[in-house]
Amino acid sequence: MSKISSHSDETVELSKPRRLKSRGSSHPANADNSGFRHGVISIFILFNLVAILSWAIPLQVTPLPQIKEIVRPYLLWAGLFQSWDFFAPNPRPVNSYIEAVAGTRDHYTRVFNFPRMEQLNYGQRYREERYRKFAEVLCDSQYAALWPDVARHVARLLDSSTDPPQTVVLMKFESPIQYGVTRIPEATPKPQFFYEYYVGGEDLR
Amino acid sequence: MNLARLREAWERFFFTPQSPIPIAVFRILYGTCVTLTLILLHSEWLDWFGVHSWVTLSTMSRVEPGVRLNLFTVMPQSDSWISAFFWIFLCFAILLTIGLWTRLSSIAVFVCLASMQQRNLYILHGGDVFLRVTGFFLMFAPAGAALSVDRWIRVGRKLEGETIEPRAPWAQRMIQFELALLYFSSFLWKIKGAPWLNGTALFYVFHIHAIQRFPVPDWTQQLWILKLVTWYTLVLEFSLGVLIWFRPFRYPLLVLGLLFQLSIEYALNIPMFEWDVLTAYVLFVDPTDLQRMGRAARDFFFWRSRSAVPVS
Repeated sequence: MSKISSHSDETVELSKPRRLKSRGSSHPANADNSGFRHGVISIFILFNLVAILSWAIPLQVTPLPQIKEIVRPYLLWAGLFQSWDFFAPNPRPVNSYIEAVAGTRDHYTRVFNFPRMEQLNYGQRYREERYRKFAEVLCDSQYAALWPDVARHVARLLDSSTDPPQTVVLMKFESPIQYGVTRIPEATPKPQFFYEYYVGGEDLR
Repeated sequence: MNLARLREAWERFFFTPQSPIPIAVFRILYGTCVTLTLILLHSEWLDWFGVHSWVTLSTMSRVEPGVRLNLFTVMPQSDSWISAFFWIFLCFAILLTIGLWTRLSSIAVFVCLASMQQRNLYILHGGDVFLRVTGFFLMFAPAGAALSVDRWIRVGRKLEGETIEPRAPWAQRMIQFELALLYFSSFLWKIKGAPWLNGTALFYVFHIHAIQRFPVPDWTQQLWILKLVTWYTLVLEFSLGVLIWFRPFRYPLLVLGLLFQLSIEYALNIPMFEWDVLTAYVLFVDPTDLQRMGRAARDFFFWRSRSAVPVS
């Protein structure tokens, strides 16, 4: 056995040269040494580094925004767009949840409760956490284009052949988190209606 | 530094062959995370991605325009096809984990993962995004060169020797870059917000009921402790983004980062997020240390199994 030391301080053991069955191509370790191949890969690396940095670094410093616009189609296509803004720049200072209420043809109401993590057991909340994220998005009017789909989905969930839903109302409940106040009375926040949808017959198919 | 030295440093960093063991361990952990993510999604799969899901494909295309790598836009829109997609995706995730048809599996997993995420971008957390962006570079890595069924078969057929050949680590470097960028970018986002600078941010985070997980001791909720932990988060994220590239800081930072991520995993309910991120830590561990750890673990379990055999 012989040993070589690579740049990253680790020592890699290499066996003595031995005859191995060939698959008709040069070994990757040797092939990697070709200058042309390194050049092509280097361009690929450099392009991706610049593109990803321009997208992920939250600075409006020239030329980052300009580069971002140029590379946007590539990053969107390849799935390399990314934003690492966990609880930033400001954590949401509210506790919120949403509910959907359907009004039926016979003037009854049916309620769909989006899963609330704090009311689930540990296993359920680990499995259904996507609903928390989704509800957070729905509360944001920037995503109002999603509300009709959500209302239609609720209508299908609450459908009944004898008394189908005719309207669906989405509402949110928000209570502010007050800094320094750790225990607050558990009062139910007032509902805020943010979308009403009239269910058509084709929505229930 | 002149251009020649810069080029030399570039070559050394991206192309000097090194052991593929770290990227192989990463592949196993990554594949496991993708598999577990899919298992967690299974019961709600059609609710999120089906024809009549919470957000339909047409709405998604309208709200998030642009040409995207998304198999949902080309597959027939029926729930049976979408269910079949789940099982195919799961199979490839398992194949990637064990390292069978590794290159094909890594491509399939990335394409399926990107498609799934593009289909519904509104239920994703940072861990999902991290899996997607690192999965892109994993496709180019020699992920099956070690610790894989592929290698076992190649050695069995005498296509490879017993010794694992070193490979150019450029794809591994890109995944390392993604991990460092995650922390550094997160640091930059946070310092834009007053609550992170004045130390009040974590109070709000820990009082969002919907993301609380296991109970944390009351003493940790004191304001001055939360302030210190808020600022510690900033320092740690900066360090993990920048100082991790410097060898003397690397292992202490990896240990601190591991403890940080595990404490978040305990306190906050963000499924798989911490594990998704922690998978890439292994890429910063020296291959010889990884091998040493592997041998120690093997010896430990071998010793335990030997000692468990009753003496007649």
